[in-house]
Amino acid sequence: MKCLVVDDESLARERLSRLLGQLEGCQVCGEASDGRQALARVQALAPELVLMDIRMPGMDGLEAARHLLKLDNPPAVVFTTAYGDHALEAFEAQAIDYLLKPIHPERLQQALDKARRLNLAQLENLEHESGVRTHLCARNRGNLELVPVEEIVYLQADQKYVTVRSASQKILVEDALKALEQEFGDRFIRIHRNALVAAGRIRALEKDSQGHGRVVLEGVEERLEVSRRLLPDVRRHIRNGA
Amino acid sequence: MTRTNRKNPSELSQDTLFLPSFCDIRLVFAVVVIAELLAFVLVLANGRADPWNDLGLVSLFMQWIALSSAAALCLARPLLLKISNTAAVLASYLLLLLVTVLVSELAWSMGGLEQGGAASGHVEFLFRNTTISAIVSGLVLRYLFVQHQWRQQIQAESQARVQALQARIRPHFLFNSMNSIAALTGSDPQRAELAVQDLSDLFRVTLRNASERIPLDEEIDVAKRYLRMESLRLGERLQVQWDIERLPRKRLVPSLILQPLLENAVYHGIEALPQGGRIAIRGAAEGRRISITVRNPRAPQGLASHRRGNHIALENIRLRLQLAFGNQAGVALREVDDEFETTLYFPREKAT
Repeated sequence: MKCLVVDDESLARERLSRLLGQLEGCQVCGEASDGRQALARVQALAPELVLMDIRMPGMDGLEAARHLLKLDNPPAVVFTTAYGDHALEAFEAQAIDYLLKPIHPERLQQALDKARRLNLAQLENLEHESGVRTHLCARNRGNLELVPVEEIVYLQADQKYVTVRSASQKILVEDALKALEQEFGDRFIRIHRNALVAAGRIRALEKDSQGHGRVVLEGVEERLEVSRRLLPDVRRHIRNGA
Repeated sequence: MTRTNRKNPSELSQDTLFLPSFCDIRLVFAVVVIAELLAFVLVLANGRADPWNDLGLVSLFMQWIALSSAAALCLARPLLLKISNTAAVLASYLLLLLVTVLVSELAWSMGGLEQGGAASGHVEFLFRNTTISAIVSGLVLRYLFVQHQWRQQIQAESQARVQALQARIRPHFLFNSMNSIAALTGSDPQRAELAVQDLSDLFRVTLRNASERIPLDEEIDVAKRYLRMESLRLGERLQVQWDIERLPRKRLVPSLILQPLLENAVYHGIEALPQGGRIAIRGAAEGRRISITVRNPRAPQGLASHRRGNHIALENIRLRLQLAFGNQAGVALREVDDEFETTLYFPREKAT
């Protein structure tokens, strides 16, 4: 079985790799030091099992696992953690496997034996643990495309998908605009029934030839329409922010 | 960390009025008993041939004043809670005197209270009562104030101790350290041995009495051991810069005042950043003040969720510093650009 070891601490990776190396039928195909790197390695190396630390800087383990589920053939995931108090209770309830560090070799063997795939329902139930995502993720021709939330300029809903636009990227995600608005709270403000823009990226407000208000956004060319109803809110925001 | 520290930091300062609640029936009973005892003292001290004759009247008068005073303090409590304790002491003292004067005046106008006999005129009656009330109220308030301070201190010390035991070394830190050691025993037994020594020393410190004072030197040593443990697991991500030449090393300080700041810096700053960062510790002794400043890079906004624990740890340090050094000591926080800065300060000389 090909395994990927993910942990932000090099000693922890070293030990886990060593333990895995001693187990039969197990081969460590790579290591990663945070969630983002893990996603890239999973796509490049196609491991069957990912052993992943939960608490990591940048993108944590729970979030990385959520993004992994978008793959056609996601690897099984076993979480590792030093101490997570109530997170552990949630795991028990969800029957997701986790290992406590320092990891016992026997426990590791058991986890490998019953390594199984996570499903989205399990992870969503853990959402309060993983909290707000740091990246939005979409699948593009079998690959995962990630946009860091702090680089997003606007989110625009269109039928089934939401367009996530940053200065350099444009991806389509399946999340509902309303859910995104709730998840990221103050970071975005609503300017239209179908659009949220990053509060920090609004540069100006202008009128087009038909007299509709449009926002000028930092980093992108296109100007988005502001609905009449939300115009006062946007104006107030620009005044306070300036 | 958050598990052991659900307590709101303001709980420490909440309800710190030195006066117990005089609305409480048990306290009212105590007031009645004390007033009665005082009536005995007054009657006996008067030295008249038949003291028991006066007792009824004096008791009645004393109880009247005492119960009115208790009622006044009970009613005034919401107001007293809003002002500082010093102001509250003064306000309640004046309130007690006022009650005495009013009740005396009322009693005089009703007549029949000239226990002193014909010699005692109106003014003299008022004056005598006010003076007695001034002395007794003063003693009672003083007693309550001192007792309150003592209770506060006990509470703070015990809280500090509990925190020292439970919160100071985060479980997260312990298990990660153990994991690092487990890794090192295979690859680098010598460093593993060193790590076990450092970890043991750190734990020994947390088991010490929280009110114990240690030389600054020793506290810095603990802090260095702690950072050495952390750099073991964080590797390149943790850079440390010490600038503490100017600190008077022999100055006695409460133990574990610096290490928690560093732990916060690691937990909230370095660990949350993929590329890590630098923690800078700078000591200064300017004039009569010693200060130690810890600077660390700030984690991105999204990770602010565990900020709460941070402030409780700082509140605890502030409390312990003030217990040791009074109001000239404290903790200051500042955010400078992308960095977070925490400063401990306390007087250079030992407070007398």
